[in-house]
Amino acid sequence: MNSVDASEHYELGAPDLSPSLLTIVIDTNPHAWAVLEDSLPLSKAIANILVFINAHLACNYANEVAVVASHSQKAAWLYPSHSEPQYRPADHDGDVTMNGTSDTTTPKTNKYRPFRIVEEQVTRNLKELMDSTTGDDLRGNMSTMLAGALTLALSHINRRTLAWAEEHGGANTEDAAADGNGGGTTSTNRYSASNEDERLQSRILVVSVSGSTDAAHQYIPVMNSIFACQRLSIPIDVCKLSGDAVFLQQASDATKGVYMALAEPRGLLQYLMMAFLPDQRSRRHLVLPTRVDVDFRAACFCHRRVVDVGFVCSICLSIFCEPPPGGDCMTCGSHLDIRDNAKPALLPRKKKKKKRVNGASGTGTPMSTPTPGP
Amino acid sequence: MADSDEEYVGEVTEDEDDLQVTRGDNSRARRKQRGGAEWELSRTWETLVEGADGTINSTVEGLLEAGKRKRLLKDTTPLQRGIIRHLILILDLSQSMSEKDLRPTRYLLTLRYAQEFVREFFEQNPISQLGVLGLRDGLALRVSAMSGNPTEHLTAIQTLKTQDPKGLPSLQNGLEMARGALFEFSHTPSHGTREVLFIYGSLLSSDPGDIHRTIDTLISDKIRVGIVGLGAQVAICRELCTKTNGGDETAYGVALNEQHFRELMMDVTTPPAAYSQKESASSLLMMGFPSRTVESSPSLCACHSKPSRGGYLCSRCNSKVCSLPAECPSCGLTLILSTHLARSYHHLFPLINWVEVPWRRASRSSACFACGLSFPSVPPEDHWQTAENQTKGMSVSSRYECTACHNHFCIDCDLFAHEVVHNCPGCQSRSNPLHSGARSQTSGGVDTMV
Repeated sequence: MNSVDASEHYELGAPDLSPSLLTIVIDTNPHAWAVLEDSLPLSKAIANILVFINAHLACNYANEVAVVASHSQKAAWLYPSHSEPQYRPADHDGDVTMNGTSDTTTPKTNKYRPFRIVEEQVTRNLKELMDSTTGDDLRGNMSTMLAGALTLALSHINRRTLAWAEEHGGANTEDAAADGNGGGTTSTNRYSASNEDERLQSRILVVSVSGSTDAAHQYIPVMNSIFACQRLSIPIDVCKLSGDAVFLQQASDATKGVYMALAEPRGLLQYLMMAFLPDQRSRRHLVLPTRVDVDFRAACFCHRRVVDVGFVCSICLSIFCEPPPGGDCMTCGSHLDIRDNAKPALLPRKKKKKKRVNGASGTGTPMSTPTPGP
Repeated sequence: MADSDEEYVGEVTEDEDDLQVTRGDNSRARRKQRGGAEWELSRTWETLVEGADGTINSTVEGLLEAGKRKRLLKDTTPLQRGIIRHLILILDLSQSMSEKDLRPTRYLLTLRYAQEFVREFFEQNPISQLGVLGLRDGLALRVSAMSGNPTEHLTAIQTLKTQDPKGLPSLQNGLEMARGALFEFSHTPSHGTREVLFIYGSLLSSDPGDIHRTIDTLISDKIRVGIVGLGAQVAICRELCTKTNGGDETAYGVALNEQHFRELMMDVTTPPAAYSQKESASSLLMMGFPSRTVESSPSLCACHSKPSRGGYLCSRCNSKVCSLPAECPSCGLTLILSTHLARSYHHLFPLINWVEVPWRRASRSSACFACGLSFPSVPPEDHWQTAENQTKGMSVSSRYECTACHNHFCIDCDLFAHEVVHNCPGCQSRSNPLHSGARSQTSGGVDTMV
């Protein structure tokens, strides 16, 4: 629109670089951390992550950070803790901040304040989270609430993006004008990545330890979050300490984030500082350690298994690992024709043909394939 | 024609029925006749009420929130929609588009909305195909070919910005070219829809032949045509839409203003409901979800016999194909990227609408569960009634509750959750998948469907 009223040239002055919001999702699944106990205990990992957070905060005075714990039975905020305002006054007087840090009281006054606040809140909330975890919670539950943590992180990013756009209204005038015209349907415009440089730069870092096969029941919500990130152009970086995460690979691939599986978990801080610190703007000038081979398997709706070959209902695109009983789709209820089941039924027919051929030649199928190979 | 018919019917009922009924009928008939012109009668200033402090801030905020909310309350009952669509977007690039009744000009606004349309279309219909045509100088010209890649269309539309609209448009040429493009993919599968969307600013069409014959072929080819008009209603456009949509007139809309124009266009991005069970043959397809690999040395792909390093290995027979979706050349398995399927799942399991929270239940929360925005505190009980009268279409307490997890959220998170993420932050971050947590969304969807 600027080209119309020739006001383009007024915006040529170098704009302030917008700050970035780093949201860290820490997988705190106790089962997985217990396995890592020898190489990298949780406490040490948290210390490393806190150093990393400080580095991020130091990059730009306006940089923001948020930390979500994806625990085994719930997802919870570590920083900023939203429920704090009521919780703190419950302690009667202003000394509350000391309360959380009673273990390390003395040298705190010399610390840069944002560093201290993050550190205090994260450690205190994490401790509370761990204390609130009972044995019963852990017994039946091996997975982690990744979908919830991602959704919380996204809600927070949305809130901060809106708030930031309001504070810096000038940056988005063109969009706002268009929105004025668009009126009722502003949101799609606001959410679409129209002018990336002028928005709050957000990214999500997932520090993951759990295997994803346990999380197969969250397939749909996780994928929904991934698409939301893709739409908002928020990269999901994945720092994988153990196990292998099928869906997280897809997440970082779809959102153009960094995926790293650490061969040596003890070097966590080093990896974090080298690979995950640069924000989107700097990343354009870097050669990023991305993963080239991506696991694109999906989870079936019926048994929550991770599959690479599945049966797909042509009506609703639900994935099943085996033909549903009675030929009725479990999701949309439509009857799937037995006749159309012929597609999978084609397979045995083909095999039969092969068998006849094999019968003549006298060898099994696996033998016949290598021969033309070399 | 149709208008005078309706009026006549209204007069007949006046004679036959008692007074009250006829009045109802009459007004309904009149409204129908006016079509979209109802907005003229709404007196927006009357809804403004001064707040206690003498400003209208609170009312304005309320109206904004009500607007947001109105958009949200859509039907969440899952129904069968055809999400495999083949759509041709035809833009009028004739001289009538240089009019400035829509700001900045019809032409620039159309191009801008066309780009938004493309983005939104692929957001909603990830496995669909789109093509863009233009009408200029009596000819139909191809802006971008049928493809499933939004960036191609976006750049093609972008290049149009440097050109000027000129000449006269031809509906018939556009339709014939669209028909050709839709069948150019001779394999256009029967389970997909075939649609054409016109953005038409002119009040005439200069055609080389009989357009009615073209309409007949469109009907026999089962191509649905939708038109967004920019000037006034045009008889041939109306006929075209009505005939190709099986008598349904709603596919033709004339934009009243910029906002309405946008809404009309964006409505088309929602996948159309499938007409009948028969139309789409229901079957269970076996599909493979191959993973991407990169080899150290190039090898030939099974589909084109071209050497490449990257590719996808068929999950059944391990032959390499270079792009998806594809049918495995050696074993015939349909190979598809699982993310393509997963993109559509929010249609399958829509997030239930959240309910407004009255003051009575508001004291349970003080801040939004998801983003931590603090809610207004609960006023004393005798103020409840007055507060409730002031707010229409929004929650009195600014809280919205998910009926599954009973957490409270703010309006922005409500919008965000329903329009972008399609997850409930509360349900997803709750423990115990065995009871309701993560699975509640899924089972909820199934229940409403069965």
